[in-house]
Amino acid sequence: MSLSGRSEASPGAAAPAAEAAARRSWWRAKGAISLLSLATGLLLWELVSRLFVANKLFLAAPSQIAMALATMTGSGTLGRHIGVSAGEFALGYVIASLLGIVIGLAMAGSDRAKQALQPWVSGFYATPTVALAPLFILWVGIGIWSKVLVVITLVVFPVVINTEAGLRTTSPRLIETVRSFGASRAQIFRMVSLPSAMPFIMAGLKLGIGRGLIGVVVAELFGSRAGLGQLISQSAETFNMPNLFAGVVILATAGIALTAGFSLLEQKLFPWTRE
Amino acid sequence: MAPAKLEIANLSMRFGALEALRAIDLAIGAGEFIAIVGPSGCGKTTLLRIVAGLEAASGGAVRLDGRMVTDPGPDRGFVFQTDNLLPWRTVLANAMIGLEIGGKTGAEVEQRILALLRLVGLGGFEGYYPRQLSGGMRQRVNLARALAVDPEILLMDEPFSALDAQTREIMQTELLRIWDEGRKTVLFVTHQIDEAVYLADRVIVLARRPGRVQEIVPISLARPRPLAVKRTPEFVAIVDRIWRLIEEDVRESVLHEHA
Repeated sequence: MSLSGRSEASPGAAAPAAEAAARRSWWRAKGAISLLSLATGLLLWELVSRLFVANKLFLAAPSQIAMALATMTGSGTLGRHIGVSAGEFALGYVIASLLGIVIGLAMAGSDRAKQALQPWVSGFYATPTVALAPLFILWVGIGIWSKVLVVITLVVFPVVINTEAGLRTTSPRLIETVRSFGASRAQIFRMVSLPSAMPFIMAGLKLGIGRGLIGVVVAELFGSRAGLGQLISQSAETFNMPNLFAGVVILATAGIALTAGFSLLEQKLFPWTRE
Repeated sequence: MAPAKLEIANLSMRFGALEALRAIDLAIGAGEFIAIVGPSGCGKTTLLRIVAGLEAASGGAVRLDGRMVTDPGPDRGFVFQTDNLLPWRTVLANAMIGLEIGGKTGAEVEQRILALLRLVGLGGFEGYYPRQLSGGMRQRVNLARALAVDPEILLMDEPFSALDAQTREIMQTELLRIWDEGRKTVLFVTHQIDEAVYLADRVIVLARRPGRVQEIVPISLARPRPLAVKRTPEFVAIVDRIWRLIEEDVRESVLHEHA
């Protein structure tokens, strides 16, 4: 780190630029390898399904999946399924995030709340609560709310745990520093504990993405009128492998895109956690 | 004689069975630069933390301008051993935090802090984040943060101990230059005798187990003090004298720690 960087910005600009270019080409090379690996994998898949698994009932080739995606997009079926699943996920995810942060704050703020809630949080976090999906359907019907409930039970606990841990691991030295200026408890929370816990909370939210997506699909498998899970289960019943894989591809893409988006957001919002 | 700026009367501190400080009596005048030295375990940092209000004494009293000290407050500025900067705040926002806690914000405050940052040699760095700064620069922010609240007394807890030897010497001269601008009362804890002698008007030598005042050594070296003063026979003689005062204690503490 050049400390005189500010004053020497213009004459020194050439060297950092070259360095950045070198780094860019390195990233490009890394990206190229990943793309090559993906392409090879898809090609092998295509070959295996065409040459060895002649029966379309067991495996669909990437080309067939692409066709299915195109057809369903054209007819609007895919859009409808995605819309329903996305709505269920978003609703459950937002509710779970807010709930999780509030419970986490309560547990970090009061030892009594922590003692009362900790066994439940630990228990439910370790339990595969998707298994409760049939129960939720029984309670609130096969509409979207049973799925929302499943998403909530899966997402809320990692958010609670990370929020609580983030607040509790705030550096005591930083707290003491603001305390030396006579900061109140509320000021300590707002100026130190909360910002220092933000990366943890964010990590909890990121963890919730994958769990939430699983929740939506599994809940839909148990009973629903529409959604990607319903598309998958219906396609399985009719041995329509291209449609089944199309549903899986959409889910995988959503998971990857959301997680990558979160990682990008983390880097933008909390650059100090990168060292 | 004028009443003391900071008065420490019969101060004692116990941590369970350990007697950290016993019967400390000190009177420090306004604008005085006081250094406290002593072997590890002599309670010098504890003493500073009690004056800061970060810890409550077991007995005795601390009075600043005649008022009892019980809690932390903006009339004292604490410079920590580690810089303790908030990593998500810029240099400016870090330096301003004490005033922010006191409810003082706005363009005028910001102008004052910018001037202060220039004073500590950080002009132009106000928009940087702590991770972009060197150790020496971070300690400058640490100092600016304490000065920003315009405290009655500056409490410094081995602020240069984590710096390399050259940076430390530069920071010592910088501190004297900055101190000369405002002549704040300073209580400076260090384990380095030469640092104490170079900076202070008086050096308070503490003994350990229990921590108590062993001797108060006045330093009559003329100010301003160039770094070269450290090589004068006069300076060396004072350092030597203080070293002899605490030598046995230090040996004991070293053996103790390695036992």
